[in-house]
Amino acid sequence: MLSKKGERVELSMTRTLMTIENVSKHFGEVEALRDISLEIKSGEVVGLVGSNGAGKTTLLRLMSGVYKPTSGTVCLEDGTPVDKMRQKLGVVPESTGLYSRLTAWENIRYHSRMHGIDDKTSWSRTSRFAKELDMLENLGRHTKGFSRGMKQKTALLRALAHGPSVLLLDEPTAGLDITSARTVRALVKQLRDEGGTIVYSTHHLAEAEQVCDRIIIIHNGDIQADGSPSDLLNQTGDENLEEAYVSLTQEKARSRNEDSESEGRFTRWWRTLFTPKTPKIKAVVNEDE
Amino acid sequence: MSNSSVKRVKAIAKKEVIEFARDWRTIMAIIVIPILMFPLLFIMFPLLLESEAAELDSLQVDVVIQSNELPVDLLQEFNSTSISISFEGLSNNTTLANPGSDLDRLRSLSIDAILRMEQRGDIWYYAIIHISTSESSNEARSRLIQGLTQWEQNETERRINAEGLDPDSTLNPLRWDGEISSGDVATQGEQAGMVLSLFIPLVLAVWTFSSAIQPSIDMTAGERERGTLEALLSLPCSRNELLIGKWLGVATITGVGVVLQICGLLFAIGYLASSSVIGVPDLSLSAVLLIVISIMLFAIMVVALELAIAMRSHSVKEAGSILGPAIILIVFPALFTQVINLDGVENFWFAVPVVNILLALRELLMDRVIIEHIAIWFGTSVIYAVLAAYYAAKQFSREDIVTSLS
Repeated sequence: MLSKKGERVELSMTRTLMTIENVSKHFGEVEALRDISLEIKSGEVVGLVGSNGAGKTTLLRLMSGVYKPTSGTVCLEDGTPVDKMRQKLGVVPESTGLYSRLTAWENIRYHSRMHGIDDKTSWSRTSRFAKELDMLENLGRHTKGFSRGMKQKTALLRALAHGPSVLLLDEPTAGLDITSARTVRALVKQLRDEGGTIVYSTHHLAEAEQVCDRIIIIHNGDIQADGSPSDLLNQTGDENLEEAYVSLTQEKARSRNEDSESEGRFTRWWRTLFTPKTPKIKAVVNEDE
Repeated sequence: MSNSSVKRVKAIAKKEVIEFARDWRTIMAIIVIPILMFPLLFIMFPLLLESEAAELDSLQVDVVIQSNELPVDLLQEFNSTSISISFEGLSNNTTLANPGSDLDRLRSLSIDAILRMEQRGDIWYYAIIHISTSESSNEARSRLIQGLTQWEQNETERRINAEGLDPDSTLNPLRWDGEISSGDVATQGEQAGMVLSLFIPLVLAVWTFSSAIQPSIDMTAGERERGTLEALLSLPCSRNELLIGKWLGVATITGVGVVLQICGLLFAIGYLASSSVIGVPDLSLSAVLLIVISIMLFAIMVVALELAIAMRSHSVKEAGSILGPAIILIVFPALFTQVINLDGVENFWFAVPVVNILLALRELLMDRVIIEHIAIWFGTSVIYAVLAAYYAAKQFSREDIVTSLS
């Protein structure tokens, strides 16, 4: 929220909008998240930082209600499970999820209608943010010819059109050029200044430091650290966030593949049947000796 | 279903149809091809055959007649057709049909056919040497046989007359009295219904299944592969709403395709009916309504199954490799149903999946409204449709549909 003078109103950060309580998520035998508990407060920008396969996307999908927790609960402020109140969420998945044969506006309108928002209200919000993202002229174009940056901006507009309480962004600057990434970050900052609540997943610590009030470091399905950038530095005693991250995540990244778990046993056996065995490394090691 | 739920389902179905219609290739596959298929098959194909036949008629064929003596009036029969004849003496073959030294001449197509004739006593023996893989050679043989048949008929009558008998009563001692068609009490409409019942169920079943494949894959495995499904699943719509919306989308596209194909078929039948080749089936209102119900039940089952299988697949390629060959599951029962005798057909056939609807269509197109059969196919089809919908709902509620191999 902004005061009349344009100063950020810190009081808005007191309300808990989303509560994640003792959440674990398993994919077959793989434990993607382990007993996670956290709260998302109104008006804060929370950065989910972690390496590939750390569990950031799984956590975001649990927050958006796409996944159901194996154990634990993900609820909104009134205790309603998140999958029952999805109209309060705005989601931008990593893949953007735009329909290429629809125009940018048709994509936005489709999602707004699904949220139960009339076209007029949706257009009014869309046009406002589209101006800021320099996308107004492109709303009538099919998204097929869009650059990655334009697609990301359209996905952001789509997520904002119904006025969500919480915005979930999965690596919104991944694959973007410098200018597009800056524009996206600027919009996130603007939304933060207006009191918006955002969960922002990223690989980049510098970006998280720049945009987020609070950083959650996830590693191997566990929360390694949760606090403001200065809290993390105090916790580790390091001079910068990169060193702090390395200190907190020294364990080797676990190899995990959710898709292989969803593959049938016969399909997996058939695939491995025609895969030649990797040459033994032992011989090479012996030569080196 | 609440009002907001209905709105969401409508929004999903509308979006699916719009997005699908914007691809010109699918319009070709779903609209243009079904409209043109039957008119091309029933009207253009016979016209093409006619034109080819006319071309063959005007063809001059080269024939060699090998004989030491020929009936004079036989040559008159050949003169009335476009045959260029040259004569040669008959060499000493073991049999007339043995090609002997003429083999190379025929194989090199320097001549089209050879007629060999020899009189032994009262009987004329003959053989036509030709090459069946050559159209002109076949045509030459056909013209020779035509001339020989006419000559044989004249010769037979001449010989009967010579014995003082009446050729007409001698050759045709048994005759039909009156119009042949008057002996069949089936109406023209019923006869037309029977002819149509042999291929309309087949066309409906195969086309419904095959035209639903592409949209089913595009709306499920396609979305999964393109990464659009995750954004969709994070919207405030239930998986069942998503399934119903997508089902409506596929059913609309498939329905348009099937209706257009039937229109094309009826247009072709109308054309043929005007040329008295086939009549218009005589159907009661109840038969027409039951036909519509049976097709709808079949469509519910087929589309739900295809959506379920496609949703279960991780990619478009995987879905295509399952659903493409699966058409056999429709084609075989459809062909099998064509040979089932409808008179005294056992009741259990009306409970076999796919076969039940196809048999129902066959009966109804012949305007046979048999309550016992209707009860069985309707009941079992509802069960199959519900099972297919349940299976589809189960696939749509899978958590891993959000992930893709790509």
